[in-house]
Amino acid sequence: MKIDMKKVGAWFDDRLALTPIFKYMTKKEVPQHEHSIWYYTGSSILLFLAIQIVTGIMLALYYKPTLEGANDSVGRIMTDLPLGWLVRSIHSWSATFMIAFVLTHLLAIWFTKSYRKPREATWMTGMMLLVVSMVFGFTGYLLPWDDLSLSATKVGTNIPNAIPVVGKWVTQFLRGGDDVTGDTLTRFFLFHVCILPLVIFAILAVHILLVQKEGMSVPLEAEVKKKKVPALPFWPNFILREVMIWLVLLGTLLTVALVFAPTLGPSADMMAPAPAGVKPEWYFLFLFQTLKIFPGNMGPVTGEFVAVVLILVAIVAIFFLPFIDTKPEGKKGRIINYLGVLGLIYAIVFSIWSLL
Amino acid sequence: MRGIRIVILVAFAALVLSPLTAAAQVPSSPAAKASIEKELSQTPAAPQEVKPETQSAAPAPAVKPAKKVPEKRTETIVPAFSGIKERTAVFVFYVWLWLSIVVLIYFLRLWVKESDRVYHAKYYEPDESPRKANPMPPTLGD
Repeated sequence: MKIDMKKVGAWFDDRLALTPIFKYMTKKEVPQHEHSIWYYTGSSILLFLAIQIVTGIMLALYYKPTLEGANDSVGRIMTDLPLGWLVRSIHSWSATFMIAFVLTHLLAIWFTKSYRKPREATWMTGMMLLVVSMVFGFTGYLLPWDDLSLSATKVGTNIPNAIPVVGKWVTQFLRGGDDVTGDTLTRFFLFHVCILPLVIFAILAVHILLVQKEGMSVPLEAEVKKKKVPALPFWPNFILREVMIWLVLLGTLLTVALVFAPTLGPSADMMAPAPAGVKPEWYFLFLFQTLKIFPGNMGPVTGEFVAVVLILVAIVAIFFLPFIDTKPEGKKGRIINYLGVLGLIYAIVFSIWSLL
Repeated sequence: MRGIRIVILVAFAALVLSPLTAAAQVPSSPAAKASIEKELSQTPAAPQEVKPETQSAAPAPAVKPAKKVPEKRTETIVPAFSGIKERTAVFVFYVWLWLSIVVLIYFLRLWVKESDRVYHAKYYEPDESPRKANPMPPTLGD
């Protein structure tokens, strides 16, 4: 029986309304200028997210989120399953690459002032995606259940304790009790594979929709001087360039995952003291060091409380940046740029300091 | 000339990747080997059949074998290939991967150049120039 592909295509088109989407894709244009390279960071994040989903499903087939089985099951993935260690390494490294690209994307938008009107909501959803990505990393860090992951989670989940009134409740909610136990592990697994993916997909859908609605931003100076910026069609000119970058990134990720595959320590002993040199993931290092430099007591409050409040204020300020930097082309805009550079230097210096 | 370039690229990829794959093949630690040997030497012997002293004696209750408690692992697991076959397969895959990436990028670049050329030539845009009347008079055949 001969299948008429045109009829099949028309059947899908009737139900999914594909023609308007394809028409939109062919009409959509991407501005071309000296900062165009930063446009590619957004799509690269999607590539790493897709890799994480695939490898995450593969790992979840064998992972056991129980106190007795967690470390052993990861050990089994690494030793008994063919190339299980490589799959785990790709999952771990793609998380690192993804967060690195999310941060780069954010900084690029910060310095090109692309958050300005009418893209405030795009910036805010982007910030939400950054926070969710970091929570993904934090919850995933505990899952191998070795000494290092247990100690880092103890430190991490203890931070909200410094906040008055709700702090203790938040810590108990995260841990599923007073201490990090098997309940915490089950809880973190649930967050990592069920709740956070739902949250990230919902926010991502809104973010992409907003990007499509408002289009790609043009450089600030071009907008101020009302200069016409040349553009390229999204399909095929821009997407082909993206594919080239994806291929290079994919090759780099697989090579790095092969050469620098993560090890797995023995199962965590909950009664044992924290091992020396406990460090969180690299993207939490500067926050970790910030908490460490504050003294135990600062007058009526603890140093930890002051540090947590300062960090929260900074996060809220960055979240509402488009409403603070209302005139990006003026003096205020330049100050925001300097603050961005200062923040970047602070994060790099404190991260290195934490490693010393 | 292109053929030579491709050969050079293949050789380069093989040169770059061979130390990488060799580095990834971390041999299992001596401690791990020792523990495996110890485990093998301590494998319990098959239970010997105990003959009753007299036929009239009451049969002894069956002794349940002690539940084997798995030993807690104390060594760090270092990622390693399971054998030479796996190592070779991965090595070949990585060479193929990078080779494919290089070849694909080469063709994609050609496609991008052509797409840009077509776009700048406004090939797909409707012709907006006013149509001129045909200067040739109709012939008898028309």
